[in-house]
Amino acid sequence: MTNISLETLKEWSKLGHRNSFGESIIHLAREREDVVVVNADITTTARLVNFKNEFPDRIFNVGIAEQNLIGFSAGLAREGLMPFAVTVAAFVPMRCAEQMRMMLGYMNLNGRVVGIESGCRFGPLGNTHFAMDDIAVTRTIPNFTVISPSDPHQIYKTVFAVAEHQGPVHIRLTGAPGFPLLYPDDFDFEIGKAIEYRPGKDVAIITTGSVLSEGIRAAEILEKKGISTRVIDMHTLKPLDLNMLDSVFAENSLVVTVEEHSIIGGLGSAVASYKAGFANSPKQVMCSLGDSFKKIGNYAFHMKNAGLVAEDIAEKVLQNVD
Amino acid sequence: MEKNLLVEEIKDKTERMRRDAIEMGFSAGSEGAHFGPALSCMDMVATLFFGVMNYDPDNPEMPERDRFVLSKGHACLAYYAALIEAGYIPREMIPQFKGNNSILCGHPSKNVQYGIEVSSGSLGNGFPVACGMAKAAKFKGEAHQVYCIVGDGECNEGIIWEAALNAAKNKLDNLIVLVDINNFQLSGTTSEVMPINLDALWRAAGWEVLHIEDGNNVEEVLQILNEVKESDIEKPHVILTKTVKGKGISYMENNLKFHATSINEEQYRQAIADLDKAEAERKEQ
Repeated sequence: MTNISLETLKEWSKLGHRNSFGESIIHLAREREDVVVVNADITTTARLVNFKNEFPDRIFNVGIAEQNLIGFSAGLAREGLMPFAVTVAAFVPMRCAEQMRMMLGYMNLNGRVVGIESGCRFGPLGNTHFAMDDIAVTRTIPNFTVISPSDPHQIYKTVFAVAEHQGPVHIRLTGAPGFPLLYPDDFDFEIGKAIEYRPGKDVAIITTGSVLSEGIRAAEILEKKGISTRVIDMHTLKPLDLNMLDSVFAENSLVVTVEEHSIIGGLGSAVASYKAGFANSPKQVMCSLGDSFKKIGNYAFHMKNAGLVAEDIAEKVLQNVD
Repeated sequence: MEKNLLVEEIKDKTERMRRDAIEMGFSAGSEGAHFGPALSCMDMVATLFFGVMNYDPDNPEMPERDRFVLSKGHACLAYYAALIEAGYIPREMIPQFKGNNSILCGHPSKNVQYGIEVSSGSLGNGFPVACGMAKAAKFKGEAHQVYCIVGDGECNEGIIWEAALNAAKNKLDNLIVLVDINNFQLSGTTSEVMPINLDALWRAAGWEVLHIEDGNNVEEVLQILNEVKESDIEKPHVILTKTVKGKGISYMENNLKFHATSINEEQYRQAIADLDKAEAERKEQ
């Protein structure tokens, strides 16, 4: 894995997670001949045209057919290839959940399933195109690893890390073009090992995906009010980094989970279910997309309505901190 | 008429497979087994394993082996019986069918050591995997074939057609599918439940379509499989294979009641008697 220049990362940040992934997978394919891309008529939308130009024989478009996207990819994986199956997160895993369970999970194959535009980024397109439930689905499939990278650099690191991983992986991509570059410098990335983005003694904000940037801003707001706030980037949702959670439960007095996902089955649920085993663990506040279909509006509108912007997260902390 | 030695050998093996299938199903007791759909495809599974496919039980992941995917995974009795006969699964494991901690699950669960290529049984889902395996062979420049058995009822599933279109687009001429047309599915005949013109649909999907009029006749199955193997048509091949559900056991034939059920001691003895009789008649010919 070669390091990516700061200039390139800034460009990817500007262009968004689709380009970040579409370019990262080219870098991986240059190093590994077993890597192929399968997509469900999303070559242009998912910014895979450059991949197609460089590796025309290593990208397969199965048409608008998400079940077969996974089925076909499972067959490729069974024969030792490493397919990255890509489509819009609204349709994967939900349209092909059973195929992910039976073909990738049950057979423990090295399929990599990538959902672009997860959460409610598709704003005005409406609920048909939101993925508020994808983490909930794949977390329940045995053998699956679930990763939601937080910035362009982490998307790059994720793509290379999953290539070395045994077993199926779901990569959930969030954030709009212009999503912040949070890791400008080289950093260690390990599947299942959360990153303490900044230390803090009082409150711990745990986020997953691109909403990490709001968690960081919230921490800055709280620091100004005298509340020492730790920020944890829980990029891997399964397996959860339990060591990191042990440390949070021992050292922080309030846990705040922040995710662009349903309040059911995502990061908040995962943290809460682990926390349930601790007699004296801190209180948890969950910031999420709740449990409702949304009205029409742009991405910022949805994030604001759900209370997923820094000011709202900070306010929620202030309401709950002793 | 001079007997074809290979055909006779396959028939010998098919007879033993039917006996092993009955033994397995009976040993499962009240758990029962999918007898009917296994017996309908028994002869085609046997012909593939003992007349057509290249494989080595001592080297189950041999790269050049032909692949076999039983998409209609509920017919696993036929698959396990073939794997026993081929030497992948020891015959002593027969009583373990559907047992606790057994590898002989009620639907195939991938197990390389015992020759089970792919987990299947969620209908529709083995076939697309077979398509991906055929594509991988093309991609890697490997010469082996991928064989897949799909049920006629299974063709109700949408994913079958998603995968069929994609296989044709990719010109997977190394992929040979047999549709086991036994005319029954869970709640009735296939024509009652969901009438489908399979010939027209597979053709429209871009496949070469062949027919076997008697899919329980090893000779005919072998002949068509040999022909299709030599075919230079650059399309995936589907063989619409007419069979009899429950074939070989008098009271099970064309009897939906024995799609999936347990059998009692008397039914077991009758099944064995039916197989004894058929074997004696064949040996007399």
